[in-house]
Amino acid sequence: MLQKKICMLGAFAVGKTSLVRRFVESIYSDIYQTTVGVKIDKKNMHVHGKDVSLVLWDIYGEDDYQKMRWTYLRGAAGYLLVADGTRKTTLEKAASLEQRVREEVGVIPFIFVINKSDLIRDWELDPTLESQLAAQGWSILRSSAKTGEGVEEAFSLLTQKILE
Amino acid sequence: MGSAPRHSRDPLEFRPKMAETPPTRPAPDEPPLEPDAQAYLELRQLILAPEQEALERLHQRVDDPASRTKDVGSVVAEAIQLRRKQGGDEALSVALAPTIETALRESVRKDPGTLADALFPVMGPAIRRSILETLRSFLESFNQVLDQSLSVKGLKWRLEALRTGRSFTEVALLHSLVFRVEQVFLIHKKTGLPIGHEVASAVAMQDPSLVSGMLSAIQDFVRDSFHTSQGQGINRMNVGDLDVWIEEGPYAIVACVIRGIAPRELRDRMAEVLENVHREYSAHLDQFDGDTAPFAKVNGELSRCLELRYKEETKTRSFGFVYATAAILFLLVAGWFSWRAVQYGRWDHLVNTLREQPGIVITSFGREHGKFVVRGMRDPLAADPAQFIASSDVNPADGEFHWGGYYALDDGIVQQRAKSILSPPSKATLTVQSGVLQVSGAASANWVKDIQSRALLVPGIHSVELSPELNPGRLAFNQAKSQIESAVVKFPVASAALSPPERLGLGKLAENIQSLLQAADSLHQSSTLEVLGHTDSTGAEAVNLDLSQRRADRVAWELGQLGIPERVLRARGVGTTNPLRTEENEENRQFNRSATFRVSAPVP
Repeated sequence: MLQKKICMLGAFAVGKTSLVRRFVESIYSDIYQTTVGVKIDKKNMHVHGKDVSLVLWDIYGEDDYQKMRWTYLRGAAGYLLVADGTRKTTLEKAASLEQRVREEVGVIPFIFVINKSDLIRDWELDPTLESQLAAQGWSILRSSAKTGEGVEEAFSLLTQKILE
Repeated sequence: MGSAPRHSRDPLEFRPKMAETPPTRPAPDEPPLEPDAQAYLELRQLILAPEQEALERLHQRVDDPASRTKDVGSVVAEAIQLRRKQGGDEALSVALAPTIETALRESVRKDPGTLADALFPVMGPAIRRSILETLRSFLESFNQVLDQSLSVKGLKWRLEALRTGRSFTEVALLHSLVFRVEQVFLIHKKTGLPIGHEVASAVAMQDPSLVSGMLSAIQDFVRDSFHTSQGQGINRMNVGDLDVWIEEGPYAIVACVIRGIAPRELRDRMAEVLENVHREYSAHLDQFDGDTAPFAKVNGELSRCLELRYKEETKTRSFGFVYATAAILFLLVAGWFSWRAVQYGRWDHLVNTLREQPGIVITSFGREHGKFVVRGMRDPLAADPAQFIASSDVNPADGEFHWGGYYALDDGIVQQRAKSILSPPSKATLTVQSGVLQVSGAASANWVKDIQSRALLVPGIHSVELSPELNPGRLAFNQAKSQIESAVVKFPVASAALSPPERLGLGKLAENIQSLLQAADSLHQSSTLEVLGHTDSTGAEAVNLDLSQRRADRVAWELGQLGIPERVLRARGVGTTNPLRTEENEENRQFNRSATFRVSAPVP
């Protein structure tokens, strides 16, 4: 069996938990996030003819009350970097997180997911940002936890990148 | 090395006696040489140039530290080996020890993890062995203390200890613990992914990936929160009945989910499993990328942590023969007890039978010095105990009987006693009821008269009841009656006169009549005596009738003379109508010339 540890990273309240909630197997309550700082879920994928079991570490987004625990990133095969399209600060946070990951655990595959695509009219996104980031080699996807748009693709794409 | 001081920069300086000539090449500042000398020099150069170059190179090699290092490096391993072969092992060790020590110290200073990781597979067993030794000696002394204690359970454990060759303490401890390892996880430390997972049968379980992840997350959380270093995470969590034991290695951790209280032995087993995994899979563990394929066989190793539970089960199985022995012992004991019970039952039955017999009293029954002993009292007339013993199932040799004598008051016995003492006539019947002797049947008046006083001398009889037919008055009445009615007063032919002997006979008769009248009186009855006159058949009937009347009158008169009251006498002549005998001869005819008597009384 092939298993991969995947982390969900992003600023506070960007919708990481909502993103995974409808698509994963879960036995733990969300309360672990605020107590232990992480909640672990599982998603089985079938990519390139291979069964891969993704173990998702949904890490609590840093806020005023709690710091992110970087040790949780140890051993991750890849991560979903999540930002909220309606809040510019979360996009900036994403960039700083990506840099921090590189420092802490090195270069590992990730997908940048801009969430809340259902509210695209309220987005504070600089229209050129996506192309700028893409030029840096980032894989970018728009998603909506509400409609489910882009969620499966995000996991699938990340898995593909990991298996490359 | 000792030759070093002799070296100099000029190779010719230590050239052999080849020539006592000056140096080969002139120094730039030296004056030009003579032509001869020049030729010699050329010659020398021609002949010796190759050697000189070789010498030059040698010189350089010896002087240049880099090339010297290279030379030594290529042979140092062989040199050390050779040295060891030559037996200089100890000196070499002594020489190297300080360097190695410094090197180790330096390595630890730089990164303790490297050395710890390298030593991990060997340190565990070594430490465990040493602890085990210490524990074993402790157990032995503990054993001696426990040896003193004796209980059924203790005995059972002792048997098991004997059988399995373990120490008693070990067995005792093992039995005091009831536990079950329900799940074993082998978790990759860095990724938190499960490498292996074993579950005991019929255990409800969650997804191992999630549990493994959360376990590692919690480990990280605790380590972060309390700033402990690697290898110092949680090693035990307790939730109600469940215990989670965690054993951490450099690359992986083993976690056991245990229900109940597990022995320390399990912790050792976990450490052992962890070491084995690290030894066998160290390369795979280091490069683990989530693919568990290389660890296909690791579950076999993990299941050794579950084995402890199975061991308990096999133990129960091998208990079979202990149980069998116990069962046989139990049957033997039970058999002996039931045999005893049967014996007791038989004797009990015998004693109860004896107790029921009239004239036998059991005062005690029990076992003394291995025998059944019966004590009691017996009336001489009671049934013989020997006959009951003979007809019972008991073995007479197993018992003893002690009898004392006494007079029983049981009616049956008293009755027998009365019969043997009073010797009643065959037609008389004696019965005893509650100490009252009842006499019935037929018996002589004298015997009846006697019995009333004699019976009271028989132990157990306090009064006598005679049945009506044995009433003394009646007996006397009947006796007098039969005597009176058998009397015959004879007369001469055709005469009513009494001969003197006949008259004398009437005296005796009168006495009997008096007795009769007295007896009737005592019975409060009145009685009459009919005097019947008879004649023989000769002569005319009318004459005979008259004669018979006169004969009757005559006897009645005589009786009156003898004091018999007239009111009880009735004289009646019956002629020839009631002859005493058929007149075949004279003698018979004489009997018919007579008077006879008939007593009439209402009493039956």
